Amino acid sequence: MNIRPRFFIGAGLIILAIGYLIGNAMRTTSEYYLTVTEVAARQSELGGQALRVAGRVKPGTTDWDPNTLTLKFEIVPIPDVDAGGALIKPVVATEPVSFRVVSAGEPKPDMFAPGRDVIVEGKLGAGGVITATQVMTSCASKYKPKQSQ
Amino acid sequence: MPELGNLALAIALILAVYSIVANIYGARRNAPDFVVSARHAIWSMCAMVTIAVVVLWVALLRSDFSLEYVATYSSTTLPTAYKITALWAGQQGSLMLWTWLLAIFTSVAAFQNRRRNPDTAPYALAVLAGVAIFFLLMLNFVTRPFDLLATIPAEGSDLNPLLQNYWMAIHPPSLYIGYVSASVPFAFGAAALITGKLDDGWIRSTRRWAIFSWFFLTLGNLFGARWAYEVLGWGGYWAWDPVENAAFMPWLVMTAYLHSVMIQERKDMLKIWNLSLIGLAFELTLFGTFITRSGVISSVHSFTQSGLGPYFLSFLAAVTLAYTALLIYRSKQLRSPAEFESYLSREAAFLFNNLILVGITFAVFWGTVFPVLSEAVRGVKITVGPPFFNRVIAPLALGLVFLTGIGPLIAWRRTTTDNLVRSFAAPVAIGVVTGIIAAAAGLRQWYVLTALSLAAFVMGTVLVEFRRGMNARRHMLAEPPAKALVNLVAKNNRRYGGYVIHVGVVVAFIGIVGSSFFRTEVKKSVHAGDSFTIGSYTLRFLGLSEVDTPHLASATARVEVLSADGREITVMSPAKLFFIRAQQPATEVAIRSTPLSDLYVVLAGIDDSGQTATFEVFLTPLVFWLWAGGLLMVLGTVIVMWPNVRERAAIATVLSRSSTAARELNDVAAPGGD
Repeated sequence: MNIRPRFFIGAGLIILAIGYLIGNAMRTTSEYYLTVTEVAARQSELGGQALRVAGRVKPGTTDWDPNTLTLKFEIVPIPDVDAGGALIKPVVATEPVSFRVVSAGEPKPDMFAPGRDVIVEGKLGAGGVITATQVMTSCASKYKPKQSQ
Repeated sequence: MPELGNLALAIALILAVYSIVANIYGARRNAPDFVVSARHAIWSMCAMVTIAVVVLWVALLRSDFSLEYVATYSSTTLPTAYKITALWAGQQGSLMLWTWLLAIFTSVAAFQNRRRNPDTAPYALAVLAGVAIFFLLMLNFVTRPFDLLATIPAEGSDLNPLLQNYWMAIHPPSLYIGYVSASVPFAFGAAALITGKLDDGWIRSTRRWAIFSWFFLTLGNLFGARWAYEVLGWGGYWAWDPVENAAFMPWLVMTAYLHSVMIQERKDMLKIWNLSLIGLAFELTLFGTFITRSGVISSVHSFTQSGLGPYFLSFLAAVTLAYTALLIYRSKQLRSPAEFESYLSREAAFLFNNLILVGITFAVFWGTVFPVLSEAVRGVKITVGPPFFNRVIAPLALGLVFLTGIGPLIAWRRTTTDNLVRSFAAPVAIGVVTGIIAAAAGLRQWYVLTALSLAAFVMGTVLVEFRRGMNARRHMLAEPPAKALVNLVAKNNRRYGGYVIHVGVVVAFIGIVGSSFFRTEVKKSVHAGDSFTIGSYTLRFLGLSEVDTPHLASATARVEVLSADGREITVMSPAKLFFIRAQQPATEVAIRSTPLSDLYVVLAGIDDSGQTATFEVFLTPLVFWLWAGGLLMVLGTVIVMWPNVRERAAIATVLSRSSTAARELNDVAAPGGD
């Protein structure tokens, strides 16, 4: 007796189940990963959305209160180091933009400092304030990205 | 000296090219002299790459900052041990490590096959040399380890502080050994496709390589997780970061491969599947090296910046295309006459285990590359974080654990109901009782209850197997229990070593479930003398002490840990470090580990007066068992790899059927031959 068709059904069910799990998880967990200029350009559609924003800490704007573990700062676009930049469609911003970030209840990251590049995870609220659930610092530029963070 | 390094790399490239030509010519024209000459070329290539590696090591140890690599990744104050590990801290050095390992493994494979596999070995060695050529081209022309600086700095920039850690010293080499040794089974699979010798000879010849590779991939992943746990200071060990995923995917595929080849060896089925899996495993090792080294995942920008990206991707595409073409070309000959006979068979259990493993691999791959795909296709980068991976993989892991219990006990071909009851009644009972006890103890999450029950079920199956085997020996050979156990494992090391690995996987799984579901966290700023609580512990901040050395400055907090009844348990010393050369702070976590839970204390910040400190404290249940399970997996793999007299005899029997029997039998039976 040829049992092959029945096996294809079993295998197919497993593959379908995996596909469903992936599709479902994509719908519920994906978030935008944007630069500061991109956030500025799409501000209207991003309200309340889960975001990751890559930007640079604007010097002179940082405020850290260790008692309440509250970190406030502004992020500005990271200057484009790749002059060619052909692979990314630049979102044109005519003027310098910045967003205020408030992170509460989290310790200040080790390498957090004015002028450092950070990735902020959180939601964009009214008045352009990003309420951060996490602030991650990227390695200083002299290190190539490698087995870290 | 740097000239010597450059010269050695250039000669190695030429030798690799020559070895391909000589191997293929020798095999096609039946000219053994050329095959011998190719072998010598491979050994010489290995010697040349070794020279290059030694030159870089000497430069690192002598702090020769005229070399850009040394100036970038080392400094005069860097401890000697980390000067040695700085060899794989940067892109050039780690690619050279890759090449060096490949050259060594190719040489070993050439030695092992100097009389064996005369039809296929030359092609396999040619494939390996082809891979070496790609890496040597990179080292010679694209990312050169021996480039000089125009002006010699007085001091180097130092090794990234995150890498100045014991685990980070041993994690990359382990992972790379695992990556690179997967090339050997791949090369023999490719050789089987090229020559059309499509029996399971390529699998048997490289079985040890595959296990060796899996062993080091396991170690690499564990060391990486341990490093993240001790160094990154966020209380976890796995964040589904692209570089972690890159190490995890080949492990998953090699796990699938090690199981499915058993079906081919036993039933002569799944030939196409096995060849596809080993191809996939090799491609994923390239992909892994590519994403850890090109930074493509963090941004499409760095893809173009690093310079390596396009080359790697082209090579990966070329390998995939060529290998797929070979598979299609041979697909008719690869059809198997054997069929699956029943769902209730070991073949079926292994097949489903394979589908789940490959499914998990695909999910991990998808989650890893999706940001880049969405950026390239839609112009918007959309990321998925740990929740995506957890949501997809958690249920699949349950299925996998279930099959871990089923697979080894269920019969080949088909199983009778009688048989099923006899094998599984006790384990199922153990699983159900465990679930009930856990529920009675107050656990309510369905996932945790299922995981615990399944884990107990798997342990039950292994116990049943060990008992059955030991009883048989005790009755037939009248051996005392301890001797029966030792002999049982020694005589069937592949099988019982496999069970030990399964127990390790399940124990690690329990550690993962416990630490994921029940971790608690407290963040607190306190003055010296003040205390706070987490779980049943009270932590009192006693004060700070500071130490300065030329290499790093450190501030260490003394934290007294008290139990619920006020008894002092220990004093922990989390620290904040500042690396002088790199001008970079880092965290030294303090961990108190017990089988029940880990107390994990991070000194997150200190104020300028030195009187107030911010702590982040995690209480993570059962994480101890993740490492214990890892250790069991390592132990089990050692048992599996242990040389076995019976197996040698079996290989000899197989070989004696072939024409060149007498010569090869000698070769195989010789110690160290396989």
